[in-house]
Parts: sequence; structure tokens; C-alpha cells
Amino acid sequence: MPREQGFLGIFTEPEQAARAVRALHSSGFHDVRAAMPAPFAEVMAALGERRSRVGRGVLVSTLLGVLAGFSLCIFTSLAWPLVTGGKPIVSLPAFTVIAFEVSVLVGGTATHAMLAYATLTGRWRRRVPTKDPRFSADRIGIFVAGDAPGMEGLLRKAGAEEVRRVA
Amino acid sequence: MSVSASFAQIQSTALAAQHRLGWGHFALLVLAGGAAAVGGFAWAWQIQHGMLATGLERPGAWGLYITDFVFWVGIAHSGTLISAILFLFRARFRTAVYRVAEAMTVFGVMTAGLFPIVHLGRPWFCYWLFPYPNQRQLWVNFRSPLLWDVFAVSTYFIISVTFLWVGMVPDAAALRDETTGWRHRFYSLFAVGWRGTGEEWRHYTRSYLFFAALATPLVVSVHSVVSWDFAVSIVPGWHSTLFPAYFVAGAIFSGVAMVVTLLIPLRKALRLEDAITPRHLDMLSRVVLLTSLIVTYSYSTEFALALHGPPSAERATLLYRATGPYAPFFWLMVTCNCAFPLLLFFRRVRHSTAMLLPIMVGVNVGMWLERFIIIVTSLSHDHLPFSWRVYTPRPMEWAITLGAFGWFFFWFLLFMKFLPAISVTELKEEVAHHDVPEEAIHAS
Repeated sequence: MPREQGFLGIFTEPEQAARAVRALHSSGFHDVRAAMPAPFAEVMAALGERRSRVGRGVLVSTLLGVLAGFSLCIFTSLAWPLVTGGKPIVSLPAFTVIAFEVSVLVGGTATHAMLAYATLTGRWRRRVPTKDPRFSADRIGIFVAGDAPGMEGLLRKAGAEEVRRVA
Repeated sequence: MSVSASFAQIQSTALAAQHRLGWGHFALLVLAGGAAAVGGFAWAWQIQHGMLATGLERPGAWGLYITDFVFWVGIAHSGTLISAILFLFRARFRTAVYRVAEAMTVFGVMTAGLFPIVHLGRPWFCYWLFPYPNQRQLWVNFRSPLLWDVFAVSTYFIISVTFLWVGMVPDAAALRDETTGWRHRFYSLFAVGWRGTGEEWRHYTRSYLFFAALATPLVVSVHSVVSWDFAVSIVPGWHSTLFPAYFVAGAIFSGVAMVVTLLIPLRKALRLEDAITPRHLDMLSRVVLLTSLIVTYSYSTEFALALHGPPSAERATLLYRATGPYAPFFWLMVTCNCAFPLLLFFRRVRHSTAMLLPIMVGVNVGMWLERFIIIVTSLSHDHLPFSWRVYTPRPMEWAITLGAFGWFFFWFLLFMKFLPAISVTELKEEVAHHDVPEEAIHAS
């Protein structure tokens, strides 16, 4: 895949990086991306992306887990209808425990699977197109896509210690 | 010091910590592995000679192995408490200690999970515990609390491993980018392609929140289910609605005490005294003190209710605990779980590792004895006087118990060597927002 064009600013402080993002946005450059060693709240807020929808996946998988837990208990009990302890064959209070455990199991593993799939396959593609080990250590990278005049200046003005053109 | 310099310092501290472990660590690893091997040998001998090799005999069909099972499940509880529940409550002090607690949880469940299998006369049929399609459509009994246990403990293990892994992904990526050779490949495996982009963080932080939200009721459910193994039976001393709350509090009590027991030598060995500060130990000690009071209240309630009503098997069994052949263990349990932790009311004690360590080891001894007392005395002195019998564990059972400690510490020592014992990412986040004192950054 060809690398995207743009400018990459490298920052030492989250506040400076957030300032750069805000400046780029207010100048009409909206394709701004970040790479950083921790989810710094000010940078995340400046990027202004909508809240992750991963919760929907968790909700659906957890509900499917409840359904799977109850189904497992009910259908296997009906397949081997042996009365134990004088309880009904379909004992819902007892089956609730299993349904709860299965719901947590399915919800948790599905969440992990979604995360692993997305990071491994690069599903969340809007990446900073330059790999730099400093972004996982002690620097924040702010990438702005495009080749418009003024981008480099905005990054420098916000306090970038280094700005380079990505082509 | 600039923020980025602090980040670099934190990261190099986390990496350097693993290189500080030398021959002493290796000797402990060999010792723990040796103890685990002794346990494995004893189990093999037990399989060869059958359950007659143990002291388990009617009416005491549950003994040391089930004691060990409940003890290790309890130990496993603190990890999720510290990482998930304290995360939801935004308790900042968890940052420096939660990784150790989570790792301990995983190894605790790995140890606990062995005992139901060790306890089986024919362990090669352990897969019968799980429902699986078979020709006769013969299914497990979902109305039995023992089966709830299978589901609860298996789920807890999988979720604990996942939670530990997810929490470690950004740290593993940082270490991946810092290392070369086999370490680089090793950390790449854990990092699952993590790049730390804004989008990744957006989904990650939300996912972590949901993990915490799922794990919190799970942690309460697991030990409640373990308590129902006992409480839904009619054995005196077990049949009580108090059990779930009492067991959950006891599990947090023993688990957090074990975290402190491990943290005190770990912070010294890895020279993380400035990252894991006396304040962290203080806060954890407060949790131990609180849960000790709940456990003491539960012991008192049990006795008060039994003594208040008309003479009953319940009263006879509880008096047997306090005055019978197991009385020395009972009173040692009360001393370790109810009396010693009261010292934690004093700030000086909470800030002194020399005083904390014996108290926490005492709590672990006391909580192991609690499980032994609950399980063994009730079966030894049940409704039928003609079947009363004093259970004495045989050397085989002690060897397997020792092996379990070896197994647990073997994995924990490996973890110390190869994975970051503190959350580098969360510490960086806190440093950026000036939540961490300057001296914590200079751990070296």
C-alpha cells in the first residue's frame, strides 16, 4: 500500500500535541491522526472522534451468552430428564448461574477477539503512516494528511520538536 | 524534568527491573520448580495406589485438596478486585500494583484448577466435568453447585488471562519497540500489532472499561458459587445463607494479603521501591483491615446464631470446632485472621514492611486454616454420631499441597523475569497529568 502524503510532527508534551491538533482542525485540516504511548485525555479530546462503538458488540455478545447458557441447560436437561433433589427438570433459578457465567465468558472473549482482530488486521486503519518506536515510548506523533501550505508551520508553532514531510 | 523524559525514565525502569534478577531469583525458581515436581511425583504415586493413599475416608471425603482448592480460588480474587473494581471506582493507587495482582490471579486459578482433578479417584475422566455431546446424550447435572463451580472457575480463568493480556498490550508494544532478538519476538506476540494510534486507544479504553464491568460481577459470583458448594448442602456448619458474603470477603482478605506478601520482596528485588511506595502498601493494608473486620463479624454471627437457638447439630459442630481435636487450629485461625490484623489500625504498622510482612503471612496461614476448619470439622462431626471420625491428612496430601505452592511461585517468578511487573502505560498517563510524585519516576 503506498504511504500517504502529509506532515508528521513529533511532540514531547501531550498539551502541545493537543494544541497542534486543535490548530490544524481550526485551519480546516480535518484528517489529523495521533500515535502516543498512553491515551492522553487532552489529545483524545482534541482529536474529537466519536465514542467507540465496541460497547454494542459487547452487549450483543453478552446477550447471546445469556441465551446460549440457558439453552445449554434447558435442552440438555430435557434430553436427559432425570429428576434430582426433587427439583423441576427445567430449574431456571439454578440455570441462571450457568447463564450468567456463560454470558460473561462470551462477552469477555468477544471483546478480546474484536480488539485482537482489529489491531492484527489493521482494521482501524487510520494510522500514522510512519513507524517510530518513540511513539510507544516517550513521544507523541501528530500526522496531518495532505500537502497544503501552512501545515508544517502550525505543527512547529504548537511546539513540535521535529517536523518531517511524509511522502 | 520534562514529561517525555519522565516517560523514558519509567520505561527504562520497567525494562531494567527484569535484568536485576540474578542468581537469587534463579535459585528460587529452581526451588519452586523442585517443590512442584515433588507435588507432581506425589500425585503420580496417588494415581498409582488409589485414593487409599490419602486420609480421605467417609464421612470426610473432602479434606486437604478441597481446602487447597478454596484457598487458591480465594487468593485469585484480589487481582480482579484491584484491577477491575478499583478501576471502576477510579482508585489511583491501583496503578502501580494491579499488574502483580492480575498475574497472581491467573496463577492462583491455575493452581486452584488442579485440585478438583487431583481430588478425583480417576483423574483421566476429568473431562466428564464438562458438558460435551456424546452418543447416549448423557449430560451433566446443571442443578448441582459443583457444576456451577466448573463454569465459574473456568470462566474466571479465561477472563483473568484475557484481562491480564489486554492490560499488557500497550506495555508489550513499548517493550517490543525497545528490544531486539527473541525478546522482541516475544513481546510482539503479546502486543498483537499494537501501534498506539488515536483510533486504537479510542476502542481500547472503551473495551477495557467493559472488561472491568464484566469482571466485577464475575469476581463476586465465583466465590459465591464456591460457597454454595457447601451452603446448599445440609451439613451442619455449612448450611448457612451467610456463606456467600462471608466467602467473598474472606477471598478478598486472603488475596490482598497475598498481594502485599508478594509485593514486599518484589519491590526490593526489582528495586521498585519508588514506584511501589509505602502509600500503596498502606492502602492495600486498609483493604486487609476492612475485610478482616467483615470476616471477624461473620465468625461471630455464625456462633451467635448457633448459640442463640435451641440445641442443634449446628451448635454442636461449631462448639466442636472451638473445643474439639481441631481447636488449636481454630484458635490459631482466629488469632491470625481477627487479632493480628487489628495492628493495621496503626499507621506506623501499615508503613513498616518489617511489621506488615509477618501480619500478611499470618493472614494467609489463617485463611488456609479457615478453609480447613470449615471443610474438615463439619464432615468429621455431622448429623450422624456413629460416623464421626477425625481426619488426618497423609504425607501424600501434604506433598501435593507443597507442590501447589511450588507451582504457583514457579509461574510467578517466571512472570517477574519476563513481563513488566508495573503498568508502564498507566504510569505514563498519570505522570502526564502530574498524579505521580517526582520521586516515583526516579526508580532505579
